[in-house]
Amino acid sequence: MGLVKRAAGAGLLLVLVAAVTLEATALIQYFYSQKGIREEATRRAESQLDATRSQIMDVINQAEAAVRNSVWIASWCMDVPDSLAVVPSRLVRDNPVVVGSTLALVPGYSAKYPLCAPYAARKGDDIEVLSLATEEYDYPSQEWFTKPLELGLGYWSEPYIDTGGGDILMTTYSVPVTDKAGRIAAVLTADISLDWLTQLVGGVEVYPNAFSVVLSRAGQIMVCPAETLVMQRTVQEVGEGISEDKEMFDSLARSMLSGRRGNLRLHRGGQVNQVFFAPVEQTGWSMSIVIPEDEIYGGVRRMGQMVLLLQLLGLAMLILILYATIKSALKNKMLSDSRERMESELQIGRGIQMSMIPKIFPPFPERSDLDMAGSIVPAKEVGGDLYDFYIRDERLFFCIGDVSGKGVPASLVMAVTRSLFRTTSAHEKSPQRIVTLMNESMSDMNESNMFVTLFCGVLDMMTGHLRYCNAGHNPPMLLSDSIRPLPVVPNLPLGVAGDMSFTEQELDLSYDDALFLYTDGLNEAENAAHEQFGEARMNAVLHKRRNAADHLVAMQKAVNDFVGDAPQSDDLTMLFIHYLNDKQPDMTERHLILHNNIQQIPQLAEFIETIAEEKHLDQSMAMGLNLALEEAVTNVILYAYPEGSDGLVDIEAVIREHTLEFIVTDSGKPFDPTAAPEADTSLGVEERPIGGLGIYLVRNIMDGVTYVRSEGKNILTMTKKI
Amino acid sequence: MEINIEKVDSVTTVRLIGRLDTPAAQEVSKQLEPVIADAGGTTVLDCTEMSYISSSGLRIFLTVRKAAAAQGGKVIVRNISDDIRQVFMMTGFLNLFEIQ
Repeated sequence: MGLVKRAAGAGLLLVLVAAVTLEATALIQYFYSQKGIREEATRRAESQLDATRSQIMDVINQAEAAVRNSVWIASWCMDVPDSLAVVPSRLVRDNPVVVGSTLALVPGYSAKYPLCAPYAARKGDDIEVLSLATEEYDYPSQEWFTKPLELGLGYWSEPYIDTGGGDILMTTYSVPVTDKAGRIAAVLTADISLDWLTQLVGGVEVYPNAFSVVLSRAGQIMVCPAETLVMQRTVQEVGEGISEDKEMFDSLARSMLSGRRGNLRLHRGGQVNQVFFAPVEQTGWSMSIVIPEDEIYGGVRRMGQMVLLLQLLGLAMLILILYATIKSALKNKMLSDSRERMESELQIGRGIQMSMIPKIFPPFPERSDLDMAGSIVPAKEVGGDLYDFYIRDERLFFCIGDVSGKGVPASLVMAVTRSLFRTTSAHEKSPQRIVTLMNESMSDMNESNMFVTLFCGVLDMMTGHLRYCNAGHNPPMLLSDSIRPLPVVPNLPLGVAGDMSFTEQELDLSYDDALFLYTDGLNEAENAAHEQFGEARMNAVLHKRRNAADHLVAMQKAVNDFVGDAPQSDDLTMLFIHYLNDKQPDMTERHLILHNNIQQIPQLAEFIETIAEEKHLDQSMAMGLNLALEEAVTNVILYAYPEGSDGLVDIEAVIREHTLEFIVTDSGKPFDPTAAPEADTSLGVEERPIGGLGIYLVRNIMDGVTYVRSEGKNILTMTKKI
Repeated sequence: MEINIEKVDSVTTVRLIGRLDTPAAQEVSKQLEPVIADAGGTTVLDCTEMSYISSSGLRIFLTVRKAAAAQGGKVIVRNISDDIRQVFMMTGFLNLFEIQ
C-alpha cells in the first residue's frame, strides 16, 4: 500500500508540476502576446493615423497650393478692381478640391469699391459668382477675413456647415494678399468641402469597432461616429458631460488641442480604449483613432482563454488518466496483494491440511508387524483427498477418502471428514458404525452438497482380522497370494442421505498380506492424449514386492512418467498397509450389526450358522448358541432403546480354538441383565411368571456371562467352551 | 414359522412348523388367541417340525398351559427334538407339560 501511496503522491506532484509549468508558459506566452499585440496595435494605429493624416494633408496642401498660386494673380488684380472676380473663379475652376473662393478687399483699399468680395462657387459644372459684400454678411468682421490679416499668414478657418450650399461641412483657407506696393490689400480664400474627410476618416478601420475622431483647432468635433455631435459640440463641451475617467478625457482633449502626438488609455462606456492621436499640421486639427482594448486584445485574450481552457482540459485529462492509472495500479496491487495473500493462505491451508494427516513414515517404527506409507499430492494447493490412520487397542483404524470437487471447498470438507473420522472412531470399532455416524453428521450439515467417498477399515493387529465398510470409494487392492480388488459392497458416498445404511464386510489378513488404497486421482490420471493410467498399470507396479514407502514412490513415478507434461487433473492419494504379524493367534472374529428391530433376529441364526460351519460345531451347540445370543440381543432390542427410536446392536464373535466369545454391545440406557433375579424353574404352572426366562437361558447355555457399562455402552460378554 | 390349527371334537391340534424365535412368537401368539380362549379341552402342541424355540416361544407354551389349567383342559406337547427337550429341561418346562 505504501508503494501505491507513493505512486499516488508522485502522480499528484506530476499534475502539480504540469499545471504550474503550463500556467507559467501560458502566462509568459500571454504576456508576450499581449505585449506584441499592443505593439502591433500601436503600429497599426499610428500608421493608420499617419496615412489618414497624410491623405488629409494632401488635400490641405492642394488647397493651400491652389490658393498660394493664385495670390500673385490676385496681387496683380489689385490694380483693376473690376477684374477681381476672375481670381476666385479661376481658383474654383482649376482646383476640384475648392468648392468656393472669394477675393475680399480690405475695406477702404479701393476707393471705388470700399467693400468688395466677389465669391465664386461651384454649381455643378458651372461657376457662379456672387458678392459677399453685403451689409448683413459684413465680411470684414468674419474670422476667415480677420485672422489671416491679423497673423499675416495663411489661415485655416474653423470648420463650419455651409448652409447655403446644402449642409456641407466646409473649411476655408484664407491668405492675405498684398498689392505690388506690398500693402495688405485683400484676403483670398478657398472653401474646401470636408465631405471626403468624413468618408476618409470614417473609413479608417483598424479594428472592427475602432473609430476616428477629428477635432478642429477649437475643439469642434469634425468627424465622429456620433453624428449628433458632429459640428454641434466641441470636445470641451463633451468633456463637461463626462464623469467616467474625466481626468484622462480632459488630458486627452488638452493634448489633442495642443497639437501633441501620442496615445493613452481611456475608459469609456465601461470599456478601456486605446486612443492614438496626432495633429494635422497647418489646419490645427487633431486626429485620433479610438480602439477598444477588447478589440486589440480580444484575439489574444480569446486565445489565452482557449489556451487556458485547453490546459484545464489537458490537466483534467491528466488527472483522470492519473487517477485511472493509480486506481488500476492500486487494483492490480490489491489484486496481486490478495492473490499473494490468497496464495500464502493457501500455503498455510495446505500446511494445516497436511498436518491433519499422518505423514511421518514409517509411522510406527517400533512395530514390526506393520509397514505403512501414505501420500497426498493435491492437484491444487489444497485438496479434497484424505487418509488417516491410528492404532487404538491394538487395532489399526484407517480410512481413505475423496471429497467431490477440488480446491478450498473440498479441503474444508476434507478437514471436517477427517475430524469426524477421528471423533466417531474414538468410541467405535465397527467401520460400519463409524461410516454410519460420519454419514449422519455429514448429511445433517451438508448444505453445499459435497459428497465424500470413503473407505474405512479396522484391522485387528493381533489376528489380522479386517473389518471394513466402503462408502462409494473405489475398492482397495488386496495384495495376498494374488493381487485383486478387495470385494466391496459399493454403498453410496457420505453426505447423500442421513438415513442410509452401509454394509460392513470382513476378511482375515495373513502375514505379508497388504492393502493398497488409492483415490481415483491415480487410476484416472490422464496423459496429454487423455488416456487414463488405469488399473493394469497400477497392478504392474504393485506386483513387485517392496516396502510400503517404495511402493508409493514407484507408483508416483509410474504415474508421473505416464502423465508426462499434462497437468494433474485430480488429487492423488495413496495408502499402503502391509500386515507383517507372523505370530497370529488362532483366533478369528465375526461381526454382526443389527438395528433394534425384532425382525432382524433371524440374522442371528445365519451368523451362528457361519461360525458353526467354520468351527464344525454340532447342531445342538449351534442352537444353544443361537438361543443364548437371541435372548441377549432380544433384551437389547426390547429394552435398551426408547420405543420408536433407532438404535444398534453390535455383535462380535471371537472365535478361538476352544472358546467362543460373544460380545453384545449397545449404546442404550444402562441395563445389566445379569442383575435380574434367577428364575425359579421349580414353580408350578399357576405360580410360574410368564417372563424372565431369557437371561436364565443365557446363563444356562453359556459358560460365562459378564456385563460392563463402559463409555456409554452396555457390553455383555458371553463365553462358551467348545 | 407356520402354524396349523386343527380341532377334532375337544382336541385342538396346533402344528408348529419351523423356528419359533422372537419375531415368530409375536405372530404365533396372535394366531393362538382363539386356542387360548378355548383351552378347556385337550390342546396338542405338535412340535414335530419345530426346529427351534426361544424364550418368547416358551412364553406362548406357558400361556397356553396356564389357560388350559384355568379352563380345566390339558396340554400335550408332542414330539419335541432333543435340543428343544434340552431347553425344556433347562427351564423346568418338562415338569409343566405332558410330553409325548
